[in-house]
Amino acid sequence: MKQVNLFLFSISFFIIISCNKETIDKKTDYKNLLLNLGNDVILATYADLDAKTIDLVNALTQLEANPTDDNLLFAKNAWRAARIPWELSEGFLFGPVDQQGIDPSIDSWPVNQPDLDAVLSSSNQLNKAYIDGLDGTLKGFHTIEYLIFGIDGQKAVNQFTTRQFEYLKACAQSLEGATQQLYYAWKPDQKNFIANVINAGDVGNNIYPSQKSALEEVMNGLVVIADEVANGKINDPLSQQNANLEESRFSSNSKQDFANNIRSIKNVYLGIYKNSFGLGISSIVANQNSKLDQKVKIELDAAILAIESIQGTFTSAIFNAKPSVENAQQKVRALQLTLESEVLPIISNL
Amino acid sequence: MKLVQFLLSLGILIIFSCQLKDEVNIQADEDLKLGGETSITGSYIQGFQQPAANLSALELELHRSSDKAFGDIFVTAPSTINGGLGPIFNQNSCENCHVSNGRSPFPNDFNDLRGLLIRLSIDGAGNHGEPNPVPNFGGQLQTKAIFGKNPEAKLSWNKIEEIQTFLDGEQIKLSKPNFTFINSYVALPQNVLYSPRIAPPIIGLGLVEAIKESDLLAIEDQNDANNDGISGKANRVWDYQNAVIAIGRFGWKAGQPNLIQQTAAAYNQDMGITNPYFKTESSFGQQQYDASNDDPEIDDLTLKSATFYPQSVAVPKRRNTTDPTVRSGKKLFLQIKCGTCHHPKFITGQHSEYAFLSNQIIFPYSDFLLHDMGDGLADNRQEFDANGKEWRTPPLWGVGLTKTVGGNNANYLHDGRASTLEEAIMWHGGESENSKENFRKLSKTERNALIKFLESL
Repeated sequence: MKQVNLFLFSISFFIIISCNKETIDKKTDYKNLLLNLGNDVILATYADLDAKTIDLVNALTQLEANPTDDNLLFAKNAWRAARIPWELSEGFLFGPVDQQGIDPSIDSWPVNQPDLDAVLSSSNQLNKAYIDGLDGTLKGFHTIEYLIFGIDGQKAVNQFTTRQFEYLKACAQSLEGATQQLYYAWKPDQKNFIANVINAGDVGNNIYPSQKSALEEVMNGLVVIADEVANGKINDPLSQQNANLEESRFSSNSKQDFANNIRSIKNVYLGIYKNSFGLGISSIVANQNSKLDQKVKIELDAAILAIESIQGTFTSAIFNAKPSVENAQQKVRALQLTLESEVLPIISNL
Repeated sequence: MKLVQFLLSLGILIIFSCQLKDEVNIQADEDLKLGGETSITGSYIQGFQQPAANLSALELELHRSSDKAFGDIFVTAPSTINGGLGPIFNQNSCENCHVSNGRSPFPNDFNDLRGLLIRLSIDGAGNHGEPNPVPNFGGQLQTKAIFGKNPEAKLSWNKIEEIQTFLDGEQIKLSKPNFTFINSYVALPQNVLYSPRIAPPIIGLGLVEAIKESDLLAIEDQNDANNDGISGKANRVWDYQNAVIAIGRFGWKAGQPNLIQQTAAAYNQDMGITNPYFKTESSFGQQQYDASNDDPEIDDLTLKSATFYPQSVAVPKRRNTTDPTVRSGKKLFLQIKCGTCHHPKFITGQHSEYAFLSNQIIFPYSDFLLHDMGDGLADNRQEFDANGKEWRTPPLWGVGLTKTVGGNNANYLHDGRASTLEEAIMWHGGESENSKENFRKLSKTERNALIKFLESL
């Protein structure tokens, strides 16, 4: 009898394990992964964005006070530096950036040049409050870009008017207001949107009923930006042979913009930002299909390399070095396809 | 004996250990795929931004390029690209009203109204039954203007509050915005009629377009012949392209017959972008008309592209359909006759252009007909056959994702007055008075179950 009992005990144990295997697997805890993505990637990127736009405010304040060639170069570099974390954030364009209507104040494009000229010619007082009240096409990164680099990218310090210096400073202050709003929207001791991501699946989470739904969100964000780089940002100017369709053409910053968009995907995929290494989507993919994980990593680097290998400026390359632009587009499309048709299903089937 | 005992125990063990799994396998509800084969799975912020699941590779590519048209931002003319904004407008892109493709959040700030706008008219109707435009303002209040022109007016509002009490004694606070026009560029006439409107979600619109007209007309009951206190009539509106009266399907009062006209009217009125359907500026005949010779400001391809985007957006599937609370909530929803107007099911006919919209079994939970909703919701402004108390039943698919997609300020009803689904129900009146009163009589557990059902949509 004892032996039978022991046998029974063993077999029941076996049955319980085998019947519940699927259930246990489905309950893999992604808390650490979401914690890392939320804190070390998303929040850290937004913190950087706000810090770099504060630098931009300072640079443009300095330029207004002391308009020299050096200070103009300094301002141009500050613009490029602030642009980096913004492009690095475009892999996760969900939540407050959209819901609170922040995106138009940061990245509206194109610039409303006729209205900008009219505002500058007017006697309206140019301060942060005034700029805050204007439409997105009269402020944000691209308006600042247009004013400091000039329409041909060659603007010299003696070509600025006093009103332009004033406008630039106020515009940077307004941009910083928007990046701070965005950072604070996520920051735990402020509006704490990050809690929705980190605590996905917890009782009372109004946004994400499961960790899977938060991961689907993140994954969709990656697909969206890969699509936008390949089929929008690169494709529109290239296929229509029209440089006016290029977003950062005044500064010739497009190649950096595109590459940083792909790095945004890479940061989320690997769970890295700057020097911090953590858990990302990669850990899930590697667990199920290590070959696919390797493929994604290779395609990420290939896309970045191909974008950076576009010959000369993007503006010139769409006419004079089309194969190098087409190659970059092809590499980003390959990445997009892999993310969409191979990685996304893994997350959707978790 | 021992063997019998053993087998019996083993049997019980197997039954117990595997029971959990069987419970999960309860057959899903018929309405799981709210949008038929266009439906996608998911509960996240970008849930309204997914392409329909049944697009062909070519259609998917078209969807992606049409997404860009939907996001394009317009600026003042002359511009090398996207010129022609205004001179008066409400927003500069489709996306700025249709936030994440969902319900526009109720604005925090009267300087940026997002997807809130005000329709205007004076008493009477035009040749085709359309609302009579207000001299110097037209049919819509444009609250923004390009530099050098003036917004027609700015809006200000206060909230009027009232308390309603459920039968079990619990109270609920209802509030509605009471709008006033400030700094109008010329005086508004005393007899102006106005109707606030919040931009609705754009999911499933192509499917609505594909519903057979005969199916809509079959559920009309203009004179309440079946004596259930609920009538329901289709709006008869003007189809500008074909110059005929047509059944209205889109908009809070079903004032638009199809999506291309809806889109073209939005370009024209909301953004001041003239197009092949509406070639005259919204400011034509008014003091701020720009008289520039650049119309139409977008071509047919752009208009079609921006139309295809909402036509090809997926409807998310229902969630938690096997949850017993959700199931009992669904029963209650039908028991108290919410489903009479929020008509659950249609089978679409042949869509005139896209096969992926045809023959779909869909669950919009709307009859797309006009109903008298009582004084509480009335805007007292006529739009074709819709009188000042009548509204089109809004579809409920996706309503459970409203706050997920749009955030906490994404509210319900035509002017975004209801911050919860329970408030939205308690605003119902007129033909829906009985259903509302029956909801009032439910216990808290039952009310919560009904809300849980709505949240599963």
